[in-house]
Amino acid sequence: MLRPMFTFGCTLVLAACAVHMPAVPMHRFLDGDLDAVAAAMRNEQANGSAENSALVLNILAQCELFLGDAEAAWRDFGAAGRIMGNWQTSGGEAAGAIVGSESSKTWKGDPYEKAMNAFYLGLAFLWRGEPDNARASLKHGILADAEVGDEKFQADNPLLFWLAGRMSTLMGKGDDADDFFKEARTANTFAMQHGSRGDASGAVLGRPDDGNLVLLVECGIAPAKVAHGDLDELARFESRWHPADRARITLDGRVLGETVVLADLDYQARTLGGTEMEGIRKGKAVFKKASLIGGVALLNIASRDRGDSARTNAIVGGGLILLGLLTSTAADVRHWPTLPATVQALTTNVTPGAHLLEIEFLDVAGRAVPELHQTWPIDVPAASQTYYLFRSLPGLDRQAAARAATVGTGRTEVHP
Amino acid sequence: MFHQRPARSVLLGLLVLATSACAGTIDRRVDPDSPDEVGGAVLQSQDIRTMAQNMARDLASSGLLTSTANNQTVTFHIIGMENQSSDVINREIIITKLETELFKALGGGRIRVLDRSAVGLDAVKREREAKRSGAVAGNEGKRGNVLGSDYVLYGVIRDRVQQGGKLKSAYYDVTFTLTDLETDQKVWQNDYETKFLSEKSVISR
Repeated sequence: MLRPMFTFGCTLVLAACAVHMPAVPMHRFLDGDLDAVAAAMRNEQANGSAENSALVLNILAQCELFLGDAEAAWRDFGAAGRIMGNWQTSGGEAAGAIVGSESSKTWKGDPYEKAMNAFYLGLAFLWRGEPDNARASLKHGILADAEVGDEKFQADNPLLFWLAGRMSTLMGKGDDADDFFKEARTANTFAMQHGSRGDASGAVLGRPDDGNLVLLVECGIAPAKVAHGDLDELARFESRWHPADRARITLDGRVLGETVVLADLDYQARTLGGTEMEGIRKGKAVFKKASLIGGVALLNIASRDRGDSARTNAIVGGGLILLGLLTSTAADVRHWPTLPATVQALTTNVTPGAHLLEIEFLDVAGRAVPELHQTWPIDVPAASQTYYLFRSLPGLDRQAAARAATVGTGRTEVHP
Repeated sequence: MFHQRPARSVLLGLLVLATSACAGTIDRRVDPDSPDEVGGAVLQSQDIRTMAQNMARDLASSGLLTSTANNQTVTFHIIGMENQSSDVINREIIITKLETELFKALGGGRIRVLDRSAVGLDAVKREREAKRSGAVAGNEGKRGNVLGSDYVLYGVIRDRVQQGGKLKSAYYDVTFTLTDLETDQKVWQNDYETKFLSEKSVISR
């Protein structure tokens, strides 16, 4: 009786190397101090858990992207994507996560996080002048998005389909583009019918191939993954408040309009569906409760008994309590905390040359949030398309201007 | 009966196991032709090497790049690859490997591989202009025209990915085509195929 129990305990201890969420200085991120966040992530990469590598690389790459180093971002999003896209898992790692702590496993992200990695990597490839690899990444994201538990929600990310369509056009594949645009409209309609925000007016998806200037704007902050249940065995998402709801774009003093939502990460996270691990954790929670109750009951009997019987009950009861305490039921709540709540877009046709772009981030009531206001000088080339990505964080334009004054412009744009 | 000595041994064992479970990084050199243990169901080093070797061998045995009617040296360039798959890939690694294998298979003296990349052409143009203007010294014996290309070689990566439940399959087809630049005729074509099947673990997220 005792030896098998100890063997089981041994396995539990073997698998008990739980990995926690990397220390991301979120207040710094929300203040727009991306240099500090990047430094923290480099430190995590050097000294933190290898199991968090993809998560750390994604956050670092995001900082690099918004700091104007698109090449470094391409490298790090690519490295993270290779970990996230790999289904292969060793038997030991799977056993460790099932028997011991679930968070002992390598972080690969939920489908919406994989889709966002694919989105960023796609843009990074586009900015390198490789629309075919950009499309490959977006297609990879579409497949990753289809990994959700509930089949109903397996192809509902209009952003990826729309961008894959535009990349197809750049590759000269009009038929493919039409198919992707059709899928984008279907995904948008479906997602909106199920509570997502989307392009209701067809401002972007109604004329998906239009515009030589494509502005992608990230607003808000993505939901946090938190543990619920008596023994933290359930993973749930909680929305996080942020003042930026959408953006109003002005070009050379002329208001172009407001951006429309093409990816709603609150909705994407909410519709993930269940996983097999959730069932396993629930089973472990039942076992843990039963072991602790049984152990206490046996110790109680032992305290009122004498002789060999009392000793046996005490040892078995103690063993059960030990097993109960060693059984980890907590859900793995590691998540990508620096993602936006929504990715929005606005496309327009502008005359080639230099322009001044102003972005006013608006709250839910439509009031401008002055501290998030950004002004960017942009250059639109002739006979080409330009893609820009912005984020509702304070001071990114001022940081970029200061950087450009010392090291030259490194702003993210493409002229494929 | 639970004795003190076995209990100590078990506890010691637990400690050793717990320590070994958090072991550090191990690096070792492996054969690039061996199957990749990391997995990922994507084109791997083994595929790139086999593909380049097969294509170079087949192209060499076709005789297209070595036999001309008037015994002239054949010139050709590789235009690049288009990735139509859902796997991002460094196309340069495939192209460069193929070029290396072609040099090995055909011999540098029997064919001329031209650099038609934007970077290469620009470098040639700038250097020639500098030499002609006298800004830099040039070797008169090496003066000549930029060579025209007889053939162009290009490749396309396509895939077919299917996903259902816990299973995913990925079929890759990489096609290479040699086109005669005088006649626009496809004179040679070959492909490399591979397929992966993946089964999702319970901890795939």
